[in-house]
Amino acid sequence: MANFWKLVQNENMKIYRRLRTWIMLGIVVLIPLLFSTLAYFTSANHASSNWSVMTFESTITFILVTVFTVVISADSVAGEFTWGTVKLLLIRPWSRSSILLSKYLSLLLFGLFFSAVTFVVTFAVNVLFFGYNGSPSDLGPLWTTDPWSYIALYYLYQFISLVMVVTFSFMLSSAFRSGGLSIGLSIFLLLSGSIISGILAVTDKPWVKYVLFPHLSLTSYLDGNSPIPGHPTTLGFSLSVLAVYFILFNLVSWTVFRKRDITA
Amino acid sequence: MSQSPVVRLMDVSKRIGGRTIIDRVSLEVYPGEVFGFLGPNGSGKTTTIRLMVGLMALSAGDIQITGHSIKNEFPEAITQVGAIVENPEMYKFLTGYQNLLHYARMNPQVTKHRIDEVVELVGLNGRIHDKVRKYSLGMRQRLGVAQAVMHRPKLLVLDEPTNGLDPAGIRELRDYLRRLAADEGTAVFVSSHMLSEMELMCDRVAILQKGQIIDIRSIRTTSEDTARAAEQVAFEVDHPDAALGVLEGHGTGRVEDGALLVTADRSTVASINRRLVEAGINVYGIRVKSKSLEDQFLEVTAGETIG
Ligand SMILES: Nc1ncnc2c1ncn2[C@@H]1O[C@H](COP(=O)(O)OP(=O)(O)OP(=O)(O)O)[C@@H](O)[C@H]1O
Ligand SMILES: [Mg+2]
Repeated sequence: MANFWKLVQNENMKIYRRLRTWIMLGIVVLIPLLFSTLAYFTSANHASSNWSVMTFESTITFILVTVFTVVISADSVAGEFTWGTVKLLLIRPWSRSSILLSKYLSLLLFGLFFSAVTFVVTFAVNVLFFGYNGSPSDLGPLWTTDPWSYIALYYLYQFISLVMVVTFSFMLSSAFRSGGLSIGLSIFLLLSGSIISGILAVTDKPWVKYVLFPHLSLTSYLDGNSPIPGHPTTLGFSLSVLAVYFILFNLVSWTVFRKRDITA
Repeated sequence: MSQSPVVRLMDVSKRIGGRTIIDRVSLEVYPGEVFGFLGPNGSGKTTTIRLMVGLMALSAGDIQITGHSIKNEFPEAITQVGAIVENPEMYKFLTGYQNLLHYARMNPQVTKHRIDEVVELVGLNGRIHDKVRKYSLGMRQRLGVAQAVMHRPKLLVLDEPTNGLDPAGIRELRDYLRRLAADEGTAVFVSSHMLSEMELMCDRVAILQKGQIIDIRSIRTTSEDTARAAEQVAFEVDHPDAALGVLEGHGTGRVEDGALLVTADRSTVASINRRLVEAGINVYGIRVKSKSLEDQFLEVTAGETIG
């Protein structure tokens, strides 16, 4: 069997040889710049904490990064069906599972790349504007001495929820072969979390803890809260719930894609 | 034929939603053979091709490519296959070259040098670094052929490959396919409803109707066969009725459209011609009126509606 990495290389080519990918990257770079400039000119004495502006911008930019990854993910499988290229893609000496895996990996790499850019840009821009002297306590009551642990965990948690949303959209993309549906429902999953948490909080049933939506905001744990107000959970519990959904989504993607007749 | 077939369909059936779309199709294509797959719209040509390349699962039967089952040994079977299924769809946002690179990476045998070779072969050298978005249908068809032959497959499967090609392009493709079959021993499986095209291109054709094979026949006959076979011949003469009289006792004929029609082999045609001339009848022309495949095809599928 030839080199599996070449399949990932192919998927990368299909992502990065498109203009829109670079427009997305441009937006991810511009958003923090814009917000920092705004913060600089509106704050008293041009002074803000580089840490608090950084986390604020990261939150917003991460929503964008997730949306962008979802868009790429929706095209990744559904696009091949719409374009008809899936017929030429699947008549090569590779199993359908390998091809799907290469697509999935290229998406995670895309998400990782964009998250890294977000990290570098939000950090650099704010140090540039406000200096490296914000108080770590700006990040939250629990982090008075160590801003880097907070930032590292913050990015890790955000990335985990990005992976969840993208896995969900990847499943819809390969199960329904419809990019639009995949993008729509994934963005719903991404944005409705807080509303649904609110509803769940006032629901007095034991199963509310197992609903996916609230567990996407793992960053609540950084401030000592839990994702569903009124239903205390631990980080380990949230991660286990996410793991179960993660396995479920991927099972559906792989089962459907391996079995389906290609009629595109 | 003594060689073992490159592809072998064994009682292949496909049912979708209770409807039998392909019904117990069996056929074999041998090395060096160009095999035509003829059928009216909706007869199941594309579906059969999808089954052959593993895009659809068989409902019954099996397909073997160089002895490997497409069901159970997919990578081994498919590595011997190059194909275009329906339209040659490519990534429009990539260049022609990047498209080829994409498929080359999936096949360890294909080198950069080989990519250049096939680009040259399909005559896309000047435009290969353009985005496929800017290609015409014929250019995309050529790119489709390039990706299909790139890894030197033992079986080449082309679904209506002449679609979108200009007359010169069709001729080029035909010559190329015949050469590929003759020189490299590739088995070529071409579907089409362009009957006259098939006649020029293929050694054998199968006629498919409503998912069933109703006939498989040879097209290309050797020159010896032609010499021996009796065919219907039309003599264009000035006095057809007189000519019919001359023929008396040397075979039967009839007069149609002011010409004398006789069924005869080559040497008889020559002797009839001599007799006519000797009898003072002017012969303006002699035409072989063999039935074209099209006539045969329409005859076999006569009066059928699509489906
Ligand atoms: N996904 C599908 N679901 C149900 N029926 C299908 C499907 N795909 C094809 N068919 C049916 O199968 C039959 C054969 O279709 P197919 O595309 O194989 O025909 P074809 O011979 O390639 O026709 P054409 O010359 O128009 O390309 C048609 O009656 C069609 O309606
Ligand atoms: Mg067809």
